[in-house]
Amino acid sequence: MSRPQPPVRVRSVSKLYRRMAPGFRLRTLKSALVERSLVGGLSAAESIPAVQDVSFEVAAGEAFGLIGSNGSGKSTLLKLVAGILQPTSGEVIVDGRVAALIELGAGFHPEISGRENIFINGSVLGLSRRQIEERYDEIVAFSGLEDFIEEPVKNYSSGMYVRLGFAVAVHTDPDVLMVDEVLSVGDEAFAHRCLHRIEELLAAGKTLLFVSHSLTLVEDLCDRVLWMDRGVPRLIGEPRRVVDAYRESVAESEGRQHQKAKEEAEAEREAEDPAGPRRWGSGAATIRTARLLVLGESGAAVERYHLETGESVEFEMTVEVDRPLEDFVFGIGIATPRGTEVWGTNTELGGWKGSRLEGPAQVRVRCPDLRLAPGEYRVDLAVHASDGAPYDYRQGAFSFVVSAPEQQVGLYAPRHEWSFSSAVSWAEVGSTTESEEIKHE
Amino acid sequence: MIGRLLGFRGLIATLTSRELKARYRGSWLGFVWSLVNPILLLGVYTVVFDFIFTPRMAGASPYSVFLLTGLFPWIWLSTSLVESTSSLLVNAALIRKAVFPAEVLPVVVALANLVHFLLALPIILAAILGARMLGFEVGGWSALLMPLAIVVLLPFVAGLGLALAALNVHFKDTRDLLQNLLTLLFFLTPILYPMAGLAHLPWLEMVMKLNPGTPFVRLFQEVLFYGNLPEAGLWLQASGLALLAWTVGAWIFERLAPTLVEAV
Repeated sequence: MSRPQPPVRVRSVSKLYRRMAPGFRLRTLKSALVERSLVGGLSAAESIPAVQDVSFEVAAGEAFGLIGSNGSGKSTLLKLVAGILQPTSGEVIVDGRVAALIELGAGFHPEISGRENIFINGSVLGLSRRQIEERYDEIVAFSGLEDFIEEPVKNYSSGMYVRLGFAVAVHTDPDVLMVDEVLSVGDEAFAHRCLHRIEELLAAGKTLLFVSHSLTLVEDLCDRVLWMDRGVPRLIGEPRRVVDAYRESVAESEGRQHQKAKEEAEAEREAEDPAGPRRWGSGAATIRTARLLVLGESGAAVERYHLETGESVEFEMTVEVDRPLEDFVFGIGIATPRGTEVWGTNTELGGWKGSRLEGPAQVRVRCPDLRLAPGEYRVDLAVHASDGAPYDYRQGAFSFVVSAPEQQVGLYAPRHEWSFSSAVSWAEVGSTTESEEIKHE
Repeated sequence: MIGRLLGFRGLIATLTSRELKARYRGSWLGFVWSLVNPILLLGVYTVVFDFIFTPRMAGASPYSVFLLTGLFPWIWLSTSLVESTSSLLVNAALIRKAVFPAEVLPVVVALANLVHFLLALPIILAAILGARMLGFEVGGWSALLMPLAIVVLLPFVAGLGLALAALNVHFKDTRDLLQNLLTLLFFLTPILYPMAGLAHLPWLEMVMKLNPGTPFVRLFQEVLFYGNLPEAGLWLQASGLALLAWTVGAWIFERLAPTLVEAV
């Protein structure tokens, strides 16, 4: 006897959406009738690939997470697996009863009572009337809506909607439960009850597909995670690794956007006022280039302008001189965009005394383990004489963004660890800077 | 398609009762309203056509009873088709966001309107009995065959409903086309006047015979109003049309099913 097949099998599935050009009605009707597809005969310009060539399997008892930014195709993928949408190509096989919570209260009829909606929703999910009657009390108890169950659901709040919907869905004995972001609507207590119930289902060998923007929840709950990026599967695997990679990519694209915006703003400013206060000096020395290098664990330096708290960096500038100088000081400063100085130093303060500078020269300042709090920072670079007379002073030579796994306030993010005596107990244990992280340096 | 629908019979029953409940929810008289309309029609038609106009048409008196026996099956048919046509769009949330068998929706519409027809039936029967007491030769034991007429009409309504529902998702003009077509067909079905009175207009008689609604309406008139056992040809014609409508309707629906969710 071979190993049982995983209950969810997705094989090179793609989904194209057609663009809704006006005046296509008859044509789409024709292609729908003849080819059973809306995108048949459409050119690439007329269709949008929502999901491209995705394959994965989910085993019984496994919790599978889907993450990605808005429009990355997670929800489309979930609908394909649920059987709501048909793939344009590829194959989706799901064994057993599916309960999909794509939207809160889909299928609720606003005019009729919660009680009657339980029966309708339950039969939509495939229960017989008698099965629903047997589970009715349990469902109502789970939803916590005893007092409102005879009210028409149009009077329910969105939290009540989702509670009722979730209560019905998890009581249909689904073999495969799919949840799309709806848990965030309920209150904390209900979310805990849901998670508890989900864990029960998983323990009973049921399968979970889970879409969420709450990365911590995905990390906690899921056994494996798929990261979708603009319809393409980017990474699949162990939650920690995938979530980290996704976080990094988000930070990176934010950093890129940020850098681009900066450059544009700077170009604009320079065009308006080329001799503005942002850069001044006699010109006896000129800072030609300035950049930020982030040092990887292997020691390789990569130029980038986003980093995580605690990464090691090097600030680099190249300096040219008209003629060799004997009196020179290199300076560096980090400030917030509003101009609050975070840190500053120069070679003179560091005890260096210049004797000869011939250009072009490279100057680097290395900061291992730069523990800035998450936020945006500006870097000022300068070459000046020891009496302070500037040769070239560049305020805002570049800026960079720092991110951190956990939100913190302020400018400085020291390593920290919470500890408590036994009189303190916690419903949920939060994070401290992990000792593991401290070790690996 | 039939097998799948049978598998969903619990769902269909629940949705049908939801449909009926939702219609009268919040109204004080509830189901009584579905009796008010036929009583009102009976009263108005009696006054207008039996006392004011007194149309002299062979085989149609009392006229109000003749009218009702043809009109109510027609209302079931035409209301169902109109409602089926928009049934997928009305329930778009259900289809797009839940794993939901869309094919049950037109069937639910047909059944809910069948219930309305059945609710109006006592009024028709009472009118027939009243007419008999007044000495008109209407009705008879043939009324017992009416369930059979219902059984024949149901797949016709549901089949057309399936096709219209699916077509309307892709081609929204379906609804307007249908409504105008139904208005036209109403006058080309022997509801307002019996076919027997059309000997002098052979072309109209021909058009009426080609109207697919005609055999169904005539079945109801034969068993309820005339008290005849309908001839085998009429049964065959109606059953054939019903079978055709169901087969084609189910086929069209199944062809379009994979594309409905996106287009709706």
